[in-house]
Amino acid sequence: MSKYWEIFRITWQQFLIYRVNFVIWRLRTIMQLLLVYFIWWSVFKSQVQVFGYTASSILTYILAASLIRTIVLSSRASDLIDSINTGSIVNFLIKPLGFIRYFLTRDAADKLFNIGFFIVEISLLILLLKPPVIIQTDIAILIPFFLSIAGGLIIYFCINFIIGLTAFWVESSWGVLFLMSVFLESLGGGLFPLDILPKNLFSALMLTPFPYLIYFPAKLYLGGMNYSEMLNGFVVIAIWILVLILLMRIIRDAGFRHFSAVGN
Amino acid sequence: MSNTVISVKNLKKYYRVHQKDPGLIGSINSFLNRKYKDVKAVDGISFQIEEGELIGFIGPNGAGKTTTLKVLSGLLYPNGGETQVLGLEPFKRQKQFQINISLIMGQKNQLWWDLPPMDSFILNKEIYEIGKQEFKDTIEKLSRMLEVGDILATPVRKLSLGQRMKCELIAALLHSPKVLFLDEPTIGLDVVAQQNMRDFLKEYNRQFQATIILTSHYMGDVEKLCKRVVIINEGKIIYDGSLEKIINKYAPYKMIKVDFKENIDLKKIEEFGRAERYSGNHVEFRVAKDEISKKTAKLLSEFEVADITIEDPAIEEIIRQIFEQ
Repeated sequence: MSKYWEIFRITWQQFLIYRVNFVIWRLRTIMQLLLVYFIWWSVFKSQVQVFGYTASSILTYILAASLIRTIVLSSRASDLIDSINTGSIVNFLIKPLGFIRYFLTRDAADKLFNIGFFIVEISLLILLLKPPVIIQTDIAILIPFFLSIAGGLIIYFCINFIIGLTAFWVESSWGVLFLMSVFLESLGGGLFPLDILPKNLFSALMLTPFPYLIYFPAKLYLGGMNYSEMLNGFVVIAIWILVLILLMRIIRDAGFRHFSAVGN
Repeated sequence: MSNTVISVKNLKKYYRVHQKDPGLIGSINSFLNRKYKDVKAVDGISFQIEEGELIGFIGPNGAGKTTTLKVLSGLLYPNGGETQVLGLEPFKRQKQFQINISLIMGQKNQLWWDLPPMDSFILNKEIYEIGKQEFKDTIEKLSRMLEVGDILATPVRKLSLGQRMKCELIAALLHSPKVLFLDEPTIGLDVVAQQNMRDFLKEYNRQFQATIILTSHYMGDVEKLCKRVVIINEGKIIYDGSLEKIINKYAPYKMIKVDFKENIDLKKIEEFGRAERYSGNHVEFRVAKDEISKKTAKLLSEFEVADITIEDPAIEEIIRQIFEQ
């Protein structure tokens, strides 16, 4: 186990070297949050309720979504693509090191680092802007909330990793990764709660893995979801996790066989 | 009684490479209808290597040397044949296999670019589950042998290529691998650094009875280090045996280099052999091995010689001859 702990540590050490890079990344995250926040803020200036949401519930949704995004979405699939394209992947293929576990560890290190900063930032924002947010204290809601975040995290990791693995076959996985991030932001519910969409579209979307990345946990946090909706959600999450993990392993093994370690 | 460490039977590795005609039209054609060509990087090679051997793989670019090393280290999945290293199949990448081998590529680095080498070493310590004391001793010993004790705390990106390669070596040897694959370990290094590297490898091989395969473009590496060479061309082995034998077979002559005290007429010395280089008072010629002593004696008695040396022909020359056949 200590080998993964050391990978965790070395990832942090690396972050600490690129200070400017990190500050810019945090700035981007804050800007994104403020942008969505103020758009909704201005919508509620003239109305009390929009699509069945009140100002405080939508603003809570937006802030919860940004927390969830920090936990779920940050991922290092780009490292995987890089290492396949440049061939540096051989450095860990040659060592007694779990391939998926290695990236999972790097991802976790990345996340914890960012979450630490996020908590400081969001606390400052709440203190300064004093938005009318709902503080959830019901343990019967908080437990499924954190469980669903864990589910979303695994789903996102698998999807990203699978895209990363395509670098074994194609040279331009970057494009796919980028497209996917746009997909995940919008279909995942990072910009608006998905249930304001037309009913049919919304129901269809709920069968895909995307809403479980941001929308589902954020909605759970707001409360008011009934048990059957909750149960449905967790069943879909479980099925997607199984499917994606299986797929990820198959693609990984196929990738290894196809791998040509080109360019010396 | 020697132990077979590496055994390769009829190994094949083919690549599919896509083909493109030059220019934009070629690119468009290639985009719409991609054509592939099978490249036989390694095409049915067999060999065996015993414990403690230090073997050189030589051959021109694209001959299949690196591919062979990659198959042996478990990175590539072979298309055919049987490969065993330490009794295990490399591509399965079992732990027992991985903790006993190492691969060093002159053009790839495993050290973390932004951090000092020591951080990468510590990571490897954990990955290979090396004990604290053993780790300390190994670092101390290797950094003494390579003379790098003072740079282990400097970020890798600030190191010179030579220093970096030395640290790469340490990182790759921390777990005391029994089998070592070296792909162009001296590429880009200056003469002194090359020499250090060679001395180190020779010493490492001797001290630890490690089995080493190395590929190199520099014949000097092979000449200094390897008793046995495997010559590969177009995916096939064209020679496997002692370096000495191949020199005798393809170059049954030596070079005599003479500096005369004064300028000399080429015609006067024609009888001694074919002159390959001539400039006033300096002549180099090829002389068959069994005539060396006779001809040298004659030269010295008939001419005023300032300096004379007798050398083996350059190994590059021999290899070139083999490939030309």
